[in-house]
Amino acid sequence: MKKNFLITIFIFFISLLPNSCGSKNISQKIIVASYGKIESLDPANANTLKALQLISSLGDTLYELSSNGELIPKLALEMPIISKDRLKITINLRKNVLFHDGTSFNSNAIKFTFDRFKNIGKMNYILGNRIKSIETPSEFSVIINLNKPSSSLNGLLTSVYLTPISPIFYKEYSDKYLNEKFIGTGKYVLTSFSNEVQLINPNLDYWGEKPLNKGISFVGYSNSSSLFGALKSKQIDVLLSNSIDDIQRNSLNNLSKNKKFKEGNSPFSELSFISLRTSSYPLNNLNLRLALAKSINRKLISEKVSYGLRKPSRSIIPPILKNDNQGLWPKYDYLEARSLLQKENYCNGNILKIPLTYRSNVPADKLIALTWQEEIKNSLKDCIDIELNGVESTTVYKNLSLGIYTAVILDWTGAYSDPEAYLTPLLSCNEIVDGICKKGESVYSGSFWGSNKVESLFLESEKISGHKRLEKLVEIEKIAANSIPYIPIWISSQKAWSQNKISKPIFNGAGIISLSDLKLIDE
Amino acid sequence: MSRNLKKLLNYSLLKISLIPIMLWIISSLVFILLRVAPGDPVDAIIGSGADEVSREFLRNKLGLNEPLINQYFSYIQNILHLDFGQSLSTQEPVLNIILKSFPASLELCFFSILSATLIGFPLGLIGLRNRGKKTDYILRILGIATYSIPPFWGAMLAQLLFSVFFKVSPIGGRFPIFQQQPQITGFLVLDSILSNNIIALKDSLYHLALPSITLGFLLSGIFSRSLRVNLDKTLKSDYVNAAICRGISRKKIFLNHALPNALLPIVTISGLTMASLAGGALLFEVTFSWPGIALRLYEAISQRDYTLVQGIVIFTSILIVSLNLFVDILIAYLDPRIEY
Repeated sequence: MKKNFLITIFIFFISLLPNSCGSKNISQKIIVASYGKIESLDPANANTLKALQLISSLGDTLYELSSNGELIPKLALEMPIISKDRLKITINLRKNVLFHDGTSFNSNAIKFTFDRFKNIGKMNYILGNRIKSIETPSEFSVIINLNKPSSSLNGLLTSVYLTPISPIFYKEYSDKYLNEKFIGTGKYVLTSFSNEVQLINPNLDYWGEKPLNKGISFVGYSNSSSLFGALKSKQIDVLLSNSIDDIQRNSLNNLSKNKKFKEGNSPFSELSFISLRTSSYPLNNLNLRLALAKSINRKLISEKVSYGLRKPSRSIIPPILKNDNQGLWPKYDYLEARSLLQKENYCNGNILKIPLTYRSNVPADKLIALTWQEEIKNSLKDCIDIELNGVESTTVYKNLSLGIYTAVILDWTGAYSDPEAYLTPLLSCNEIVDGICKKGESVYSGSFWGSNKVESLFLESEKISGHKRLEKLVEIEKIAANSIPYIPIWISSQKAWSQNKISKPIFNGAGIISLSDLKLIDE
Repeated sequence: MSRNLKKLLNYSLLKISLIPIMLWIISSLVFILLRVAPGDPVDAIIGSGADEVSREFLRNKLGLNEPLINQYFSYIQNILHLDFGQSLSTQEPVLNIILKSFPASLELCFFSILSATLIGFPLGLIGLRNRGKKTDYILRILGIATYSIPPFWGAMLAQLLFSVFFKVSPIGGRFPIFQQQPQITGFLVLDSILSNNIIALKDSLYHLALPSITLGFLLSGIFSRSLRVNLDKTLKSDYVNAAICRGISRKKIFLNHALPNALLPIVTISGLTMASLAGGALLFEVTFSWPGIALRLYEAISQRDYTLVQGIVIFTSILIVSLNLFVDILIAYLDPRIEY
């Protein structure tokens, strides 16, 4: 009897073996995994990187940003034509493009998509009040009328949130979301959707180059360890790095160096920084802000916290968007920090106490805070005392504009690929009184910093384009770097790893992976 | 109607009458606690970069600018009509979300209890048979160890061993990524049987095996220990000795008298375990990316999706209260010693 029992148990476990039980992937679809689930495939409702990644495969935007930051027409036939007064942008559209429901893509689709996003889009604040109206003078030409000149609109036209959708299919959803379907013009069509798994197949009627694979299975796991384990045990083909722990990121990086996997990197786009409350004591004192900025050893933080995988940054604009790596913020120099603090009568028994808030649900934030605290203890123990305070992120966001936090660690990724998408949310202000922002974006970033000069430079930058505009925006950054309302820490990129049998993942300039370029190497 | 049955009916009615009060207290507490908890759903939905106009617009749209008392009354009124509202983040009816994710939790719960029983009962019996011997001590330690292991740690260890190291089990999910799952009731094993799809049945069992066996193993300690202790106590009781003296075979005594009596406390334990698992084994679902109701609750909390959290908590409360009621009535029916 005992023997039979043991045999039964043995047979049961054998039956669990994948060869005898689980189905094999015979479809030759590539399995791409990332963190979390997709709640909505509606561009007006989607707000996670993962959803945007999938939407960008199912639809095309008017323009795309290449990996070196150049604007490439996609559904637009050519580069936008801007009127002399810069209030009218004419875009000629590509002909013979079909939506997945078989209807034709035309100027009405652009008008429908933009109007819908403006009305119900969760992220519609990215449009601001730039767009006055959209005209459709012909079937394949669209005119965007602006309220004021806006040179950042070019960048906005690459935004996945504005991916054209079929007006006929979405007719009943012009004022509400359609979460589980997507009808765009992209290289893939959606064949199955659940919050956890989405299957996409190549669009046989696609107007451009066809995908190099036979389809993608997109899957979400609810924790970093599962993602890591799934890649290591070859249960998935490609892993996207959003929300994967730094220790596992480092391990995958090492395995890639040893040719166990292939690693692809997006341009650096996610900025981590410390926001300083410039409106009240003690950080209303510029010298103290400067001293803090000089006390941060970014290289050490990057090495200790991210194993050197995140790039120390002395700029709040990603390098790809300003075509250089120039750091404008003060360098690490604790001796100079000490002399600045001494000038303000600190050190020698008078210690500057700085409460530093970090988001308790973001592991890297806590490690940044701890590393900085330890560094201060080593070099400026008699001058600064950093008091740590962990608060859950949604609470931090809610309280930022109330001016509760003296210093708080945050991060930011621009909603579209333009320096303005980094500068405006951090530095712009609508109402400035004695250098303090009373109303505007910098209030919501917790710095309360405002500069009339910066506001006038923002306005000037809207009226020009190209290199001159970039110079203006860099000038804005220089002003901020001298006033230090924020201390940039590092800038990080999206990463993706693929099995050796799959081609290396390639990202575009907006940090979106090109799923259609993934292919089985032995095919 | 016999006197006993009438008494049981009265007892059941008394218990049922308490349910609405319990649910009202729970739903009010959930409403208050969510509003008191720091954080703003608007921030969770559109991030911290949005301007105040967009925030206000979204707050108005979601009804978050209404006075709290108005929000509370409309919330209670909606619950009375079994309308849990719409998810703040997806605008999908909360009841739909619950009904989509609940079968996954219930399926995991059912198979975990089954595994716990299949592992726990034989171990309890083996322990009793070898009373005082080395095997008994080993099984006692094993029993205590299983229910003292933190479930999330056990889950991670099992995942690491069987999915990553031995590669015999999928890392997570309910069904192969590259295949379409049968969609009839939401219970994949049942749906596969109903659609006569053997491959789907194999696939769903294959995905269910590791989470349910691991959870079952961690729960088996309670079952084996309870059975071992209760059966031991029953076998030493006077009525068993009397039966032996009357010449009734040991097998008959064990099956007809001792075992049913020893199982009574286990019915209570099973009921309570089932109730708590049906509401979702939170960390298990997170570890195995199991798309059940607990994982949905976890995500809703992090998104400050008030309506979804409220809906799930009330739904699971109804479930737990109903299962407890069922267990109480069942015990009252099975055990004539219980006064009611």
